[in-house]
Amino acid sequence: MIMEGSVGIGLRRDIADIIISSDIIHPDFIEFAPENWMGIGGYWNKIRQHAVDKYPVTCHGLSLSLGSPEDLDWKFVKELKTFLDENKVEIYSEHLSYTKSNNAHLYDLLPIPFREDAVDHVADRIRRVQDKLGRQIAIENVSYYTPVAAEISESQFITSIVEKADCKLLLDVNNVYVNAFNHSYDARAFIDQMPLDKVAYIHMAGHEQVEEDLIIDTHGEPIIDPVYELFEYTVKKMNPVPVLLERDYNFQDLPSIAEELEKLRSIIKRHWEVAHETAK
Amino acid sequence: MKLRSETAEIQEFLGKYCKTGEEVSIPGITDGRVHHYRRLVYNVVKNTMDQAFPITVSSMEEEEWNNLVHEFFANHQATSTQIWKLPYEFYQYHFSRDTGSKLEKPYLGDLLYFEWAEIKIHTMPDKDAGDFINEGNPITGRFVLNPEHELIQLSYPVHIHPVTKVEENKGSYYVLLFRHPDTGNVKFLDLSILHAFMLTKVQETGDSIEKFKGEIARIANVESEKFLDEFLSDFVLKLMDRKMILGYHPNFK
Repeated sequence: MIMEGSVGIGLRRDIADIIISSDIIHPDFIEFAPENWMGIGGYWNKIRQHAVDKYPVTCHGLSLSLGSPEDLDWKFVKELKTFLDENKVEIYSEHLSYTKSNNAHLYDLLPIPFREDAVDHVADRIRRVQDKLGRQIAIENVSYYTPVAAEISESQFITSIVEKADCKLLLDVNNVYVNAFNHSYDARAFIDQMPLDKVAYIHMAGHEQVEEDLIIDTHGEPIIDPVYELFEYTVKKMNPVPVLLERDYNFQDLPSIAEELEKLRSIIKRHWEVAHETAK
Repeated sequence: MKLRSETAEIQEFLGKYCKTGEEVSIPGITDGRVHHYRRLVYNVVKNTMDQAFPITVSSMEEEEWNNLVHEFFANHQATSTQIWKLPYEFYQYHFSRDTGSKLEKPYLGDLLYFEWAEIKIHTMPDKDAGDFINEGNPITGRFVLNPEHELIQLSYPVHIHPVTKVEENKGSYYVLLFRHPDTGNVKFLDLSILHAFMLTKVQETGDSIEKFKGEIARIANVESEKFLDEFLSDFVLKLMDRKMILGYHPNFK
């Protein structure tokens, strides 16, 4: 079982063996994208099975496309339910974005227009997905590089959807930092506006500044201090939840990734007095 | 409130731009930022294709390869929720349009399929082969095949020759790809037409070689039963050694 206040890491193929062996990195739980493992046999199926046997699991989806105008892919939702149940997935989350347009998958996260009609549309889709999956899902605030025809604020958009869909929030603290930087707003004020009592899970990650006024959310760099500070600010304001370090590539320096996990743990321990259950 | 058609249209504009790279007017965006979405989307697709088709990539100019990826993604409605399956859609797209002929690379379809088949066999769901034993007769026994395999037919020997040599060796080639049950690695074997025929019969009927040995003898015009038995037994033992044949059916060894 995933303990509140535990710290996990994404199961990426580049470091799967290391995570399973626990030689260098010691996560309390793992997260993986269902789309990268569903219906796969052979070597990677064995690896997934080893990881699932060893660690509690969360899943973070890629292709549900909650924000698309077109209908949901119900065949995929059905397969997803089977996969989540088979892998005893405790938390399933998806992005508050769209990855499919005009019935074509685009394989990256596009920003939904911050509009009231989109709030209703997305909330309705989340409710229907939750009904089919038989569980609440958590939706993640995504990083975005330009607003698109916005009529309401980002915080209002997220808050309204969480309320109307009766879902949980996956609060990505790095994304809040990235968006605050890219769109010139106060990250702490944004955190204050989030429904923190609805947060089921937190993501932390590194990013890359590609222009003077633009950061891209890459998951390939170490977490920077201002993001740790924003994380600590957030942790102080809410009850304990699991926290995940997202790292998708650049695994050359594993000890530094292990240090990132420890740094997250130390911040958590300062503010959340929780028992940690290490993976068996 | 239902999603307004204007909102849906704006979303489709952005999606279309990311798909094609052709600029469209999208209201309420920040100047100089939206191109990052096209870049990110295209890079994900391009990287997926680069990794799926390393031989194809190395066989052509970078611009030519880039054009294939761009044309595919701009015009094709990608249906797979799992991006690792997208290379199959890429193969289908270019095979159905005979892109190979247009590029004067008639082997392109075979090459793309061969590279995709390796991914397919490597990732295909595990199947239960059933019970088997190691002792049996290669001619009269019934085999338990490794279920994770595919026998493909190619016109160009992209599996055994560099692409510079495949056109001059055009013919009929049979390639058996299978996943080693212990390591998960994909192996392939170039088969003669007789071996391919024998394996197909075993697959289709589940019978022993004895049942269709006569047919093989007629096709190969072989009169010596002893020679044929040795020829077929050697092949069976080779497939057993490689773990393409896992063993014998316990009741028909």
